[in-house]
Amino acid sequence: MPWITKNSGSMQIETRDEPYLDDALKAELEANIITRYPDRRAAMLPTLHAVQHKVGWLPAQALKEIGEFLGTSPAQVMDTASFYEEYWLKPKGKYVVWVCQSITCELMDRETLMSKVKAKLGIEPGQTTDDGKFTLMNVECLGSCGTAPCALVNEKLHENLSADNVEAILDSLE
Amino acid sequence: MPLQEPVLTKRIPTPPFGDFSQRKLNSYADFVATGGYVALKKALDMEPSAIIDAVKASELRGRGGAGFPAGVKWSFLPPQDGKPRYLAVNADESEPGTFKDRMLLDFDPHILLEGIAICMRACQLDTAYIYIRREYHQQAKILNNAIQEAYANNIFGENSIMGKVNDRSPNCYVHRGAGAYICGEETALLNSLEGQRGWPRIKPPFPAVAGAFGRPTIINNVETLAMTGPVIDKGADWFKTMGVARPEGVPIHVPASYGPKLVGISGHVNRPGVYEENLGVTVREMIENYAGGMRNGKKFKAAVPGGIAMGVLGTDQIDAPLDFDIGKKFACLGLGTAGIIVMDQDTDMVAVARNVVRFFSHESCGQCTPCREGSNWAYKTLMRIEEGEGTTADLDLLLEVSGSQGSMPGTTICGLADGTNWAVKTILNKFWGEFESRVKPSSVPGISLPILV
Repeated sequence: MPWITKNSGSMQIETRDEPYLDDALKAELEANIITRYPDRRAAMLPTLHAVQHKVGWLPAQALKEIGEFLGTSPAQVMDTASFYEEYWLKPKGKYVVWVCQSITCELMDRETLMSKVKAKLGIEPGQTTDDGKFTLMNVECLGSCGTAPCALVNEKLHENLSADNVEAILDSLE
Repeated sequence: MPLQEPVLTKRIPTPPFGDFSQRKLNSYADFVATGGYVALKKALDMEPSAIIDAVKASELRGRGGAGFPAGVKWSFLPPQDGKPRYLAVNADESEPGTFKDRMLLDFDPHILLEGIAICMRACQLDTAYIYIRREYHQQAKILNNAIQEAYANNIFGENSIMGKVNDRSPNCYVHRGAGAYICGEETALLNSLEGQRGWPRIKPPFPAVAGAFGRPTIINNVETLAMTGPVIDKGADWFKTMGVARPEGVPIHVPASYGPKLVGISGHVNRPGVYEENLGVTVREMIENYAGGMRNGKKFKAAVPGGIAMGVLGTDQIDAPLDFDIGKKFACLGLGTAGIIVMDQDTDMVAVARNVVRFFSHESCGQCTPCREGSNWAYKTLMRIEEGEGTTADLDLLLEVSGSQGSMPGTTICGLADGTNWAVKTILNKFWGEFESRVKPSSVPGISLPILV
């Protein structure tokens, strides 16, 4: 596992006996996803998404299991997973609030919106609330410039946001 | 002449032909009831090479940013050798200001699937992957449902009306990205499709020769493919009645700007959204006739013609026509995706430059040093200027780096570094006074560079 020695040679990864990529998930991927590609390794992104969806994030042990499943090295899995913004290599909150910061959203006053969200959640972008409920993130363009400013909460897009309506949206999340 | 009847927005109510509030998802049945899949049936009766010729004759240019003629791209494929050949559909719409493909996927996914099928037939491709950005959760669901409908109605699959292609059943899959702007670059998209990090590849080999999995691959934008249906259905002559013709005396191999285009308009306007209009419409017409004018009665200051990598149009360039020649005529990079971002008189252009460069420095894939390091330094310099700590030397440096080939532009594998610098140099040149008033004189004596406007 070459990536571990990059940080510190003494760093240990946490392992558990129960696999993250279990047989049920493997069977599902095998039947629906792997067959789509001429090469098993091409199923990397969908497999990472599937494991992250189940576990919530991507622990090192899961990356190792994905490597074995796809017939590639853990380093290759780490290489891919670390590149993309939406793969979490550390735990995240139950809800990830991605607030768009690109040009149209900034023109449409996302700063006021962001201040409101920060005050409401009591955290800065990149942080998770102590109860593990919210993670706040700045994100580049969400592709909804016509209804700026916008934010993505997990998989749900919220459009035409303002300091006035964002509070109700955050309150409505269980 | 304004658009006479909606083409891509035929089933998506859009002013002046309909109202945003009436927009709804068109199912397979809705699509077929309104003339859908007629073009595909027509294409099935044509020889594959005749389909390519028809698209070539229409001079349909890529709608994803670069404007490369689609039919010409399709004709680059080598002869069939019985092995797989792929179509990669670029739905990784991530350029700030661009949200046109989202609208097509939201309301009329089958217009894309029909275009995909036509392209697969024309180029003899057996598998299509729709690479859609991760943030489009809802659109990926819609697309998956639409693909299921298409399989159930034998557009794709074992019993496809296309028969066997390269001895294989034609298939169409959604492949979801994971949050990386660079994956919209065609070769980065291929790497991401193969399960690797989204690093652009050095060309040649071009994807038409060795693309996904080392096999011939065609890569087209969602809007380009969606447009192939109407082109095949109604013909090249119909298509060429719209848009901007080749000026007299220009040789035939120079592509013109025919056809309608989806124009997304956002920012300081009253009614932002995606509209459809003939290429050649001016920014002023888009703002006044479609977007309901400037918000709060403010004055126009600047606009991005199509995605921020194209740079900006200045205050006196509001009458710039949106066609593929806009770059040459108005000192910006090009038409891009025709996602206009409108800025009013109160906009701080230094903040705009800082925001835009932050985007590129954040989204640089890190493969080429000049882009990875350069965009970050440009961002830091612009932050310094915004905070009032910048000097005239900072401005000189930004102009020199962004304006000279071989420092940052022209030294990288893909065009991201060029886009960054086009944005910097157009904002700087067109709003020079604003930058100059924000910096202190440099304490370092040196040569003062000539300022080219």
